[in-house]
Amino acid sequence: MTERDTDAASDIDLVRRAQAEDIDAFCLLAERYARRIYLLAAHYCRNPQDAEDLSQEVWLKAYQAVQTFRFDSSFYTWLRRITINAFLNHRRSSFFRRNGQTMSVQLLQIDSEEQQVFFESSSRSQENIYNKLLFESVVNALAELTPAQRLAFLLRHYEGMTYEEIATAMNCSIGTVKKGVWRAIGKLRARLSPESDAQETLTSLASEY
Amino acid sequence: MHNCKETREIFTELLLDGMDFRSDQAISAELSRCSECRSEFEVLSATLRLTSRLSEAAAPDENYWTGYHSKLRQSLVKAQAESSTSRAKAQRHKDELGPLFEPLRPRAGTSVFARFFKTTVPVPLPLAVAVIAAAALFLSLVIPFAIRAARVQQPNTTTVVRVPVEVPVVQEKPAEKIITRVVYRDRLVVKATTPAKDATRAESTFAKSQKSEGEAMPSSLAGFKPSDEVKLTVIKGGVPNEK
Repeated sequence: MTERDTDAASDIDLVRRAQAEDIDAFCLLAERYARRIYLLAAHYCRNPQDAEDLSQEVWLKAYQAVQTFRFDSSFYTWLRRITINAFLNHRRSSFFRRNGQTMSVQLLQIDSEEQQVFFESSSRSQENIYNKLLFESVVNALAELTPAQRLAFLLRHYEGMTYEEIATAMNCSIGTVKKGVWRAIGKLRARLSPESDAQETLTSLASEY
Repeated sequence: MHNCKETREIFTELLLDGMDFRSDQAISAELSRCSECRSEFEVLSATLRLTSRLSEAAAPDENYWTGYHSKLRQSLVKAQAESSTSRAKAQRHKDELGPLFEPLRPRAGTSVFARFFKTTVPVPLPLAVAVIAAAALFLSLVIPFAIRAARVQQPNTTTVVRVPVEVPVVQEKPAEKIITRVVYRDRLVVKATTPAKDATRAESTFAKSQKSEGEAMPSSLAGFKPSDEVKLTVIKGGVPNEK
């Protein structure tokens, strides 16, 4: 099988091969969905290192459980369920050891090696710096929420899940999910709206670069 | 009737679903009616668009993913090796202990109870001897104790214990004879003039009657013997033999 054929292979084919303990096939699946899982983890953890650890753990759990995949949903839906469970489990534990050191702080550490790796491609232009500062505001707004509220907003906004799907995945009521999503929107609106002080601060900071 | 709260809820959900509000004519009409809702919609739309765009912009670059996937591959290889080791270990245990439990495995056409009572399990000879010796030792120790305990508990008949009990005897006195007689007396008719005269006349009448009774005992009291207690009923104004 050539590389081109491998790229074109469907998720189902790759999952079947992964179930036959083909690590290459599973790594191809990981390459397809690693960014989405990582970004979810990054917004949830608010720290690049924690996001990497958590997303790696999600992939490891998925590989160990791939034999249980019954093809009654898409692979990503199944993977997202594992991701949500991993997030909720880590919310209960003390996994986030760098909780006080949020992603926004690392974004502004010029000499940080992680930061350079994390945002090397977008650290030169003024627009990207402005984006980074705005992203910092987004992260800070999400940091004011509880982990469950943050996860509900991420799943609703970034993943496009319905309230019913989120409530089922998080094992809570639809009202709780809605409350979390609306609260997140309120926080973001307060921080990013044009009339807010944060926006003015960001604009002035961005103009300095 | 325009309702700002409902309108904002609806367009927020539409924005979260990634829909363009212009595609919904009802919402467009509501927004055209209320300037506050329209401005709120613009702010919220910009906020969510910005959030989505920033999320994409914050993703690490390709160099990062190379290291990420190589690290993931190492973890997967390690996990697979551990899984293979544990599976091989489990298979080895199964191969060693499996024949012992082979007779207990369900087979078609035989009931569970029948299979249970007919099943024989091959046991190593030293183990069987040890089990039988332990059982014999146990029985030889336990049976004498059981017999002794049974003997101690055997006299189970009822014993009668005679204990003299002193019971106080109460001797009742014979009831005293109470003789009740009805004595009739003639009623004295006294005509009262004044209270003082009445008192003296009453005393003189009582003394006269006492005197007359002492002199001549009526025939009705013949043979009467006085006792310690006399119950005397005096009926004033009564007439003998009156019914």
